[in-house]
Amino acid sequence: MSYIDVLREAKDVVTPGMSACQGCGGELILRTVLQVSGKNTIVGIPPGCMAGAGVVGWNYANGLEIPVHIPLLDNTASFLTGVSQMYERKGRTDVNIVAVAGDGATADCGFQSLSAAAERNEKMLYVCYDNEGYMNTGYQRSSTTSRGSRTSTTPIGSVINGKQQHQKYLPLIMSMHGLEYCATASPSHMADLVAKVQKGLAASKKGFAYLHVFSPCPTGWAYKSEKAIEVARKAVASNVFPLWEMDENGYKLTENKNPISVAEFVQGIGKFKNLTPEVIESIQKVADARYETLRKLSAK
Amino acid sequence: MGKKVVLTGNYSASEAAALCRPDLIAAYPITPQSSVVEYLAGMVHNGKIDANLVQVESEHSACSVVQGAVAAGGRVFTATSAQGLALMYEPYFRMSTLRFPMVMALATREMTSPETVWSGQQDAMSVREAGWIQVYCDGNQEIVDMVIQGYKIAENEKVLLPVNVCYDGFYSSHLTEGVDLPLQEEVDRFLPAVHFNHCVLDPEKPFALDPLTPGPLMMKYRKSHLDAMEAALTVIEEVDKEFGDQFGRYYGGAISEYRTEDADVVILTIGGMTGTGMDAVDLAREQGIKAGLVKIRFARPFPAKRIAKALAGKKAFAVIDRSVSFGWSTGPMYMETRAALTDVDDKFAHFSAIGGLGGADISLDRMLGTIKKLDTVKNEPGQKETQWYMTD
Ligand SMILES: Cc1ncc(C[n+]2csc(CCOP(=O)(O)OP(=O)(O)O)c2C)c(N)n1
Ligand code: SF4
Ligand SMILES: [Mg+2]
Repeated sequence: MSYIDVLREAKDVVTPGMSACQGCGGELILRTVLQVSGKNTIVGIPPGCMAGAGVVGWNYANGLEIPVHIPLLDNTASFLTGVSQMYERKGRTDVNIVAVAGDGATADCGFQSLSAAAERNEKMLYVCYDNEGYMNTGYQRSSTTSRGSRTSTTPIGSVINGKQQHQKYLPLIMSMHGLEYCATASPSHMADLVAKVQKGLAASKKGFAYLHVFSPCPTGWAYKSEKAIEVARKAVASNVFPLWEMDENGYKLTENKNPISVAEFVQGIGKFKNLTPEVIESIQKVADARYETLRKLSAK
Repeated sequence: MGKKVVLTGNYSASEAAALCRPDLIAAYPITPQSSVVEYLAGMVHNGKIDANLVQVESEHSACSVVQGAVAAGGRVFTATSAQGLALMYEPYFRMSTLRFPMVMALATREMTSPETVWSGQQDAMSVREAGWIQVYCDGNQEIVDMVIQGYKIAENEKVLLPVNVCYDGFYSSHLTEGVDLPLQEEVDRFLPAVHFNHCVLDPEKPFALDPLTPGPLMMKYRKSHLDAMEAALTVIEEVDKEFGDQFGRYYGGAISEYRTEDADVVILTIGGMTGTGMDAVDLAREQGIKAGLVKIRFARPFPAKRIAKALAGKKAFAVIDRSVSFGWSTGPMYMETRAALTDVDDKFAHFSAIGGLGGADISLDRMLGTIKKLDTVKNEPGQKETQWYMTD
């Protein structure tokens, strides 16, 4: 079935109304992931923008029509471990156990519990929507924020200009945990995203599945909301966010034969407004090196 | 009749937890609790119990994993001490405020700093306001019995709160004693299969567990939590009776008293020091002092009325704490005992005694000294200086 048919036939489990900003990549990811996983799902969404949208909801209605809990910023994978093991005990392995968590809850505060759950190969699908910062608390830096980004805690100052460090590349770290399935995806590549959610759900019946999704954020990154998909597409096209997956057959990179430059990707995104040519050059180097690493890992 | 076995305090907690048929156990090693989780791991790995064992990477996760399992309708167990308890504070507070019933053993230990691994009740005392029920045991038999009673209290629908079964690190956790271990069928009769469903995540009955809660509703939740604590005071007594009727061991409920009837002076103890305290009372009696003892069994809910009743008509009391209350220059149970007596505490002579920190011994001599001091000041009402059980 084509992904369009999958999404057309699947019920949207997000309740009407939405507290996310217009053009929010995270919302599209939340909606799509849950549409694919369906009503027979228990989802954990830790504090962050998608907890606002997905748990708190809008207009006195909860955010979702399926059972949802807002765990702590730092315990989503542990909390869902308990849920998952109990559902297995009850013989109800048909129920999908899913996390939809921000990069802060995933790469920073929650990394310890995530890493441990992945190492134990707990049965769940953990989706990280990476908007490169703590958006819900006011666009602060996280460890996945790209170098040079302007955030509330890495402002453009007269002495220090934006974030000084390169981002931590979490998906590759996760892939080394002996888990069942690991992939990156982007809402600009819906067919790929839907297929990976399906694979991740199937893998979650056997063990830990991790999906790291690029999540453009018009409000925090300062670009026009209608440009969200374009920004995501350019992130993939420039190899800033390469698409790949890893399963029992090894790594598989979606090849990008004619990448655009990082300079082209950062064009028009407010948080990158003050990048110097040297910083753009260094981000380009990191992107190229990362792509090369992934290409080698994927070589048959 | 159960079977007679010889167990350490930690193994007592493990054996009792196993008898309660937990669905899931998650715990992380820390001195002096470690052997609780090691023993349970052995039982699971040898097929002695049918429980899921989750080998977590921290206490934060131990508490989070069991929280998830309760949110899916399971009966769970964990255990920790001091730094582990501090690390799990975030999900720990949430366990009680989500009204999740469970039992956690706490081999009590001093809080670092100074760096220490030894006994003390500072860990448990510092989470008195985290909404859990806390019982303090004195001896391994009581550990066994209170783990079992703990689930019965926690899962009572008037209560629905988690229970900490506390016992002194090393003094109890590592002390070997003869224990009457109930048989499985006896425990099954006492403790029915887990049945709560007020919080169970299930696609067949979708709901949002704990969405953002506005103040007025939150106040209702807090009030109902306090009401549950109040109700627990009665449930504790009922469960004590029911347990006693079936197993022949009664503990007195939220407090127990020793030779208080005609006493002039009373010491109040908590946890493992109680046995020594009773010996001190006996010795004092031989020396002509009318001494008695009140053992504070539950610190949460605090049995204020029963303590007030036990002390009514007495002349003097001292509360011996194995922890401190920063800012009061006393022990915490002393201040709470005084709070229980607000309108009458100027009628007593009273003081706080602090000892046994960081594994130091609370000796018979020291406790006898406290009783003698009480006897000297018994006719001079008011607070006396805090007594420190220092070596020099
Ligand atoms: C232990 C803890 N520290 C801090 C916070 C405050 N906090 C709430 S959401 C959040 C950031 C979440 O960032 P992320 O996971 O990336 O989600 P986003 O808001 O970007 O969607 C923080 C720091 C918290 N809830 N818990
Ligand atoms: S701040 Fe960004 S991530 Fe948060 S809701 Fe708005 S667009 Fe989405
Ligand atoms: Mg984020």
